[in-house]
Amino acid sequence: MSLKMDRASMAFTFKGGMLPMTVMELTSADPERIRDQLESKLNQSPAFFQHTPVVLSVERLDEPHLSLERICAVCRAHKLLPVAVRGGADPVKQSAWALGLGWFPPQEARPRALESVANERDAQSAAAEHEAASIGTTPTGRIYRGTVRSGQQVSAQEGDLVVIGSVNAGAEVLAAGNIHVYGALRGRALAGIHGDHDAAIFCRELHAELLSVAGSYKRLEDIDPRLLSRTVQVSLSEDQLAIVALT
Amino acid sequence: MAKIIVVTSGKGGVGKTTSAAAIATGLALRGNKTVVIDFDVGLRNLDLIMGCERRVVYDLVNVIQGDAGLNQAMIRDKRVENLHILPASQTRDKDALTSEGVEKILDALTEDFDFIICDSPAGIERGAQLAMYFADEAVVVTNPEVSSVRDSDRILGLLSSKTRRAEQNRDPVKEHLLITRYNPSRVDGGDMLNLDDICEILAIDLIGLIPESEAVLRASNQGIPVTHDQKSDAGQAYTDTVSRLLGETVPLRFHEYQKKGLLSRVFGGGRR
Repeated sequence: MSLKMDRASMAFTFKGGMLPMTVMELTSADPERIRDQLESKLNQSPAFFQHTPVVLSVERLDEPHLSLERICAVCRAHKLLPVAVRGGADPVKQSAWALGLGWFPPQEARPRALESVANERDAQSAAAEHEAASIGTTPTGRIYRGTVRSGQQVSAQEGDLVVIGSVNAGAEVLAAGNIHVYGALRGRALAGIHGDHDAAIFCRELHAELLSVAGSYKRLEDIDPRLLSRTVQVSLSEDQLAIVALT
Repeated sequence: MAKIIVVTSGKGGVGKTTSAAAIATGLALRGNKTVVIDFDVGLRNLDLIMGCERRVVYDLVNVIQGDAGLNQAMIRDKRVENLHILPASQTRDKDALTSEGVEKILDALTEDFDFIICDSPAGIERGAQLAMYFADEAVVVTNPEVSSVRDSDRILGLLSSKTRRAEQNRDPVKEHLLITRYNPSRVDGGDMLNLDDICEILAIDLIGLIPESEAVLRASNQGIPVTHDQKSDAGQAYTDTVSRLLGETVPLRFHEYQKKGLLSRVFGGGRR
């Protein structure tokens, strides 16, 4: 009883959340160059710039001191809301805090295998490709041949993941885009891990422990038993995961 | 050059040591010079199953630490020629095993033997990883139950990434599935996973199927590997397994429930 009362009188509760977030990976610290590029982008896809929250990643920059204030001003002028900074040295961290922004430690190096074709191109075209990804086109993906076994994790940080084999219980497959499993899906599958709401999961035989698209998820227990063992497609429709049998 | 075969499972109590002893015995009975090594430092059992616990003087850890020579530590089997046992230490723990030490021992054995059987401890920690690291082939022992199958799946993942063959980008470790404690009548009743389901989930070749049998427990307690009991179904099933390991094609037995006829019920005949 008293527990209920407490809950009613609470002003808030803390909850963990994984929200889709656009990362703006800076390859130049020059506010003018950033402004030029944003300008041209704005003309291409005005829908993207609607006070969209972004995380400024300065990991690729090698400058201890940034004119963070000016960069933020340029972003805001183009209806992008910087909410945090990722990476950079201590002075960057301090000035982020001074500006009321959060600071994230640099992302750990990605596993080699995932840095596919994009890595070989020069930084600029890679950055261009990264932006292209955020407005819907899928660049490179990954094809995995064989069984993904318990305890293994296979992911595609960009594009789709195709598994030619089964994903066993206790295994996890992740992709920025769609996930295709040409076998039984018994483990966990998370599509659209960077927030792509159009991502989907396809599998030949559904027994998944967990299905997730852009953060919305269903556990095995939530899945209609009639859909189990069937060939299905899983996608988001009105913020709900919809599972549709394909055969 | 000896072929190094690890007998592993992830889960404990599924019959790794029984299988390692039975397979090693079977290989030696077929005339192959075989040594079976107990990697379960701290919980040694292989010497009991092989019936040589009274003759252990030195062990694997003594050899690794240079306190004894390989030939001093290896025990010659009394029943079969060509069969040797290298026991584990009971007073130490698995940290006493080193990768260099194990490699040295295997290198020394590989010249003289045809087969080296490594009996892995349960789990996925150091002991189990060292037992599998140098393997050419792996026999994954699985019981027809969900938890055993999942643990075997985990071990198969490690075999494809945490072995010398994987790290050196050579041909992968050849993986074989050995199902033990299979009871066809309980499978038919739905108490146990069926053979096809296990094979489908683990997606590797089936090397053998050992039926649940009283002969196994009897053999363990007597210290006589069950392969010697050729009247028993389990003994015959291990012999079949060894033949397949040697590349022969042998039809699968003991996987279907055979109803006992009235006569055999009355006279108590049939399989033991």
